[in-house]
Amino acid sequence: MEERNNTTTPATEAKKCSCGWGAFVVGLVVALILGWWVLPNLMKETKKQPIAFSHVEHVQNQGMTCEQCHFVRADGSFSGTPTTAQCAECHFTVLGSNPEEARFVREYVQTGREIKSEWLVYQKQPDNVFFSHALHFGPLAELRGPKETAAFCSKCHLNVAETDVPPVYTENRLSGYSENTMLMWGCERCHAEHMAMGNTNASNACFTCHK
Amino acid sequence: MDRRGFLKFAAGGTVGLVASPIIWNTLYDAVYWTQNWGWIPRLKKGESEYIPTVSKLCPSGTGFVVRTVAGTPVRTIGDKNNPVTHGAMTALAAAEAELRVSPARLKTPLRRSPDGAYVAITWTEAETLLKQKLQEAGSSVAAVSGDPTSSINEVLTSILNQRGSSDFYFMPDEEQPAAVAWEAMGGQGRLGYDMENSDCILAVGAPVLESWGVVAANRSAFNRTHPVAGEPTQKLLYAGALQNNTAAGADLWLPMKPGTDMALLLGVAHLLIKAGKQGFAAGLANFASFAAAYTPEKVSGITGVPVARLEAAAKALAEAKKPLVIAGSALGAGGSAGPVMVAVAINMLLGSVNREGGLVDMPFPVSVVAHATEYRETMRKRFVNYTQAVAAGKTKAPALLLVYAANPLYSLPADSGMKETLSKAGYSIAVASFMSETCEACDLVLPAALGMEAFDDVQTPYGSGRVTYALARPVAKPFAGARSAGELFIALAQELDLELGVKDMPELLYKHAYALGAPFRAMMDEGRVFTAKTALPASPLFYNWEAIRSAASARGAEGDIQVAPVVVLGMGTAQTAIPPFATKVVTDYQLKGKYSVAQMNSATAAKLKVNAGDHIRLVAGNNVEITVVAAIFEGILPDTVSLVAGLGHTAFDQFSKGKGSNVLALTSVCREPGTGLPVWGLAGVKAARA
Repeated sequence: MEERNNTTTPATEAKKCSCGWGAFVVGLVVALILGWWVLPNLMKETKKQPIAFSHVEHVQNQGMTCEQCHFVRADGSFSGTPTTAQCAECHFTVLGSNPEEARFVREYVQTGREIKSEWLVYQKQPDNVFFSHALHFGPLAELRGPKETAAFCSKCHLNVAETDVPPVYTENRLSGYSENTMLMWGCERCHAEHMAMGNTNASNACFTCHK
Repeated sequence: MDRRGFLKFAAGGTVGLVASPIIWNTLYDAVYWTQNWGWIPRLKKGESEYIPTVSKLCPSGTGFVVRTVAGTPVRTIGDKNNPVTHGAMTALAAAEAELRVSPARLKTPLRRSPDGAYVAITWTEAETLLKQKLQEAGSSVAAVSGDPTSSINEVLTSILNQRGSSDFYFMPDEEQPAAVAWEAMGGQGRLGYDMENSDCILAVGAPVLESWGVVAANRSAFNRTHPVAGEPTQKLLYAGALQNNTAAGADLWLPMKPGTDMALLLGVAHLLIKAGKQGFAAGLANFASFAAAYTPEKVSGITGVPVARLEAAAKALAEAKKPLVIAGSALGAGGSAGPVMVAVAINMLLGSVNREGGLVDMPFPVSVVAHATEYRETMRKRFVNYTQAVAAGKTKAPALLLVYAANPLYSLPADSGMKETLSKAGYSIAVASFMSETCEACDLVLPAALGMEAFDDVQTPYGSGRVTYALARPVAKPFAGARSAGELFIALAQELDLELGVKDMPELLYKHAYALGAPFRAMMDEGRVFTAKTALPASPLFYNWEAIRSAASARGAEGDIQVAPVVVLGMGTAQTAIPPFATKVVTDYQLKGKYSVAQMNSATAAKLKVNAGDHIRLVAGNNVEITVVAAIFEGILPDTVSLVAGLGHTAFDQFSKGKGSNVLALTSVCREPGTGLPVWGLAGVKAARA
């Protein structure tokens, strides 16, 4: 029977080892590139808002307040996005020279198309999250002016108060939710740490948000 | 690359992926993705509105406020401003927002194809078919309505009358025997009960806190007269076989064997006459003489009620300033007129007629549609007499049978002739909101809007002590392809060039409000409800002791075991079946798996040699056999089992179909002596362990 020779020379061993570590490093680098840049971008899709709405124009130039479009209704529910009818209270006809405004009047106001149902909400939560804006507006009454209000709201939302065009909406292809949707740890910054924003007294029990 | 190199490459790749956010982000995204699954309910978001209106599904016309979110009804809440129900609600009305989108809801007109299956058709095709069939039928048209409080009936009767048919009927209900009894005693108006202002009520066989009369109003009045921390201002005495909610709430419960109402009432009458309560009217002496035979001991023997309780009830009535006696049945249909006659007689003895807190002689609802039949006339007709005559071949089967807001195939006894009438009718049409047993047997099924989706009204339901008028206003669009039944019938009449005198439902409702002097605009805009204490001049009442004697000669139920049906509105009605929202209140004492539960006391269980949880067979006199599960409940008389009504559906949805047995299957139609009324309130059965 032929004897198997399991010995290798030291030179051959060193060569193989070097090649193996190279493969490991290549694999690592490829995976890091895939995991940090390629796959995340493949899983996302960018979308534009139906109308290039300018907060700067409405707040800074026209002097509107946040509450004219974003307000708590009498029943405690929150109206975050205005309807076409609300917009048409001013834009029943074209008021300025912005072509986007003219398009809004032409395509939405004059046809009755509902802008609210097409507007992409950056932080839309699934229905299993019970969130009340009214309950989170405690400090709002003490804030003065749009800047302070925007700073307060941007603790959770994108700060759009000083944007001339809406931020790009990035949607996850798998879930259909925006990449800006707040994850549970975001809620727990306050709910688990009572002193995070002053004493919030917020409960962190499951049923606080999941009814 | 050799094998070892590849493995190292893979290991490097794995470490790299773990060190990147892709895996963790994908897991997060997967969690959010799970919330997109189709079966997860979606919340409706938007502005809330609270719109007061009334329920058309609840037999007592409960007033409620519908909460809508972005125009979709999401909840019904008791309306505290409603002058009839004062914020009280029935379990059925509480489930109406969910019933609107029930799986059994009809979504589109359906026509039976030659192979027996239904095919969806458009409303245009359905209307053409309806018109064509009505024209072909000529005067051979019959219709039945299960909603006696609606003005839509007037449109239907007008169409039938103008086509030459007088075959319009109401489904059998609680009022029909009461109307017979009231007329027999000389009443000229409509029988009403001022329960709210009475200080002592004796309800015999009528579960006033569960299913009898205007339940929501009854419960509201009970709450107000029985404060939690205070002395009750009203005594409620209840006679029934089962310690139900009414018995539990009553100040005195008289445990009475099923079907012995007449004897108990005559016993009470005898005791009151002895106590000097002798409201004078013609026939008093003869009535007193007849009632004298019902001594407390004899009555106790017949009814099972202890003499002391019988005397206590009579004493409470005699001492009360505004006593009221009510007779009725648990099933709400198929009851006898006899007990109501004696109840009227007792109220006469007590001077409780047309007096605050007593019986009220009320006006009948008026008709405002041209050529419509008056309510009173329709109330005098018996649908079961018609269906039995058609089944027996004594009356020609209609060329067209229209069933509106009713499910007679489920809610009438098997020998009522309904099945045969449906099969003999040339063409059958059901106008309903849910796919009921009757819908499944009809040739054309038309989806009707609910009360909260269309204009309709509630005219004084039976059991009320005052004239009431409420509008059902559309607070939401009709579900799927449903359509207002009222508008459908009005459009049909217009297509056929028939004269109605109204062009649409709002005009019909306006005419009704105008006839009553009701504030139509406030009713339309604000949902106000009109009430009026309108009593007719006193009717020439007399003690019709001969009619009472005839009715008292009725045979009791046969069989070893008496069945006491229990009606709770949480089980819905024949038209709705069990509301999906209410399934959580169906208890193990009502339904166990696919079997109805028969409650009995331990003495009965020992006699039948069964234990709790055992299956038993109940065989009725009509040879119908059902299998039920035994449960022990000591609040029920010996030799009696109670079965909840509303089970045993063979249609509707997964929440009702194949659940339990229909208690009505055990009943048979018989005729009440004297009045000739078709009655089926009694059911005696033989019971044995299965």
